[in-house]
Amino acid sequence: MSVAITREDFDRSKFFAGIARGIAGALLFALPMFMTMEMWELGFYMDRSRLFLLLIVNIPLLVILSDRIGFERTSTWRQAIRDASIAYGLGVLGSALILFAMGVLKYDQSPHEIIGMIAIQAIPASIGAMLGRSQLGGQSDDGDDAKEGDSDDPIHERETSYAGELFLMAVGALFLNLNVAPTEEMILLSYKMTPWHGLLMIAASLAVMHGFVYALSFKGSHDLAEGTPSWHAFVRFTLPGYVIAGLISAYCLWTFHRTDDIGSTQILMAVVVLSFPGAIGAAAARLIL
Amino acid sequence: MTKISNGKNLEAGEPHWIEWVTGVVSAVIVLGVIAWIGKDALVDRDSSPNLVGVVLQTEKRDGGFQVLFEIRNDSSATASQVAVHGEIREQGSVLENVETVLDYVPGHSKAKGGLIFQQDPTGKTLTVRASSFDEP
Repeated sequence: MSVAITREDFDRSKFFAGIARGIAGALLFALPMFMTMEMWELGFYMDRSRLFLLLIVNIPLLVILSDRIGFERTSTWRQAIRDASIAYGLGVLGSALILFAMGVLKYDQSPHEIIGMIAIQAIPASIGAMLGRSQLGGQSDDGDDAKEGDSDDPIHERETSYAGELFLMAVGALFLNLNVAPTEEMILLSYKMTPWHGLLMIAASLAVMHGFVYALSFKGSHDLAEGTPSWHAFVRFTLPGYVIAGLISAYCLWTFHRTDDIGSTQILMAVVVLSFPGAIGAAAARLIL
Repeated sequence: MTKISNGKNLEAGEPHWIEWVTGVVSAVIVLGVIAWIGKDALVDRDSSPNLVGVVLQTEKRDGGFQVLFEIRNDSSATASQVAVHGEIREQGSVLENVETVLDYVPGHSKAKGGLIFQQDPTGKTLTVRASSFDEP
């Protein structure tokens, strides 16, 4: 709760701790993408209208993410927007610094290349910064709430709406998809696979997704109200979650030019391949976030 | 709706009808995908690619005459490392040969590329064809 209401309330050390946590989150979640060659190359050749769309779509995503899992428990949209812009800013700055430090960015490159590379890496980095600030955040932040930290603590007794659960799944799917969608392996796998493999992969994705959330009793797993048959959760949550993972996979593949000039069956197979990590990401998000 | 209480998540026992509608629509979509891929699994299985080269356009550029082409694959099997061979002929004799390699030409899809010739192909016979491929 380092929300500064007046100038005196502003806690400098907490603010900088939050920033540092954001940078740590960006590193933790986005480093695999910083070290992926295809991701750099996309920065050069990617269609600028698709990159622009991705950059725009990231704004509401960060704002809703900030409002929903907001680490600093944002109570107003204004605060959510403020935190989202901090996370986005950290994403851009972090991308520039890390790409430069790794020698991927050089002075003599054209501004077109430099901006493209930073912009595309800033997407996962900003989501990472947002997640990092929530997931890596300690309890000390909630000093005021810790005092009343028994079972009445509002954070431990809350309800998420259906749309909220679906949104979490979308974020989880997007996150894992961004990690693997730019790599060539995704389309190579879809070319190597026969339709039978594809069908098996759909079944496996659904089983893993359902198992993660309902069957394996992980921390944060979900239960059904007593007397409810288990297929209810499968229809209401797992199937929509898988469709969301599939739609996000399709969007990522389109954004990264993996669907251009490709036949519909091949696109569908690539979506099925990418939905496998997407489904796991979606399920994991419901457990973690 | 999901109720979170002391780290335990409990799905609502009596969900809103929107949850059921979403679930049913999703089930229809997933079944549709399964049916589509299943249809291919049963009927549309070619064992090798079928590659055809098509010249799209020729234009004068600084480096020479640029020929944009497209390789179409009408089979369901994907070809990788497709070597594309371009040739300009005049009255039976070969004037110029150019080659390139496409990473992939997926099944029922096309892949585009360009060949750069030093001589102007207009008025001469220009052929672009796939000359070899690998399996992915």
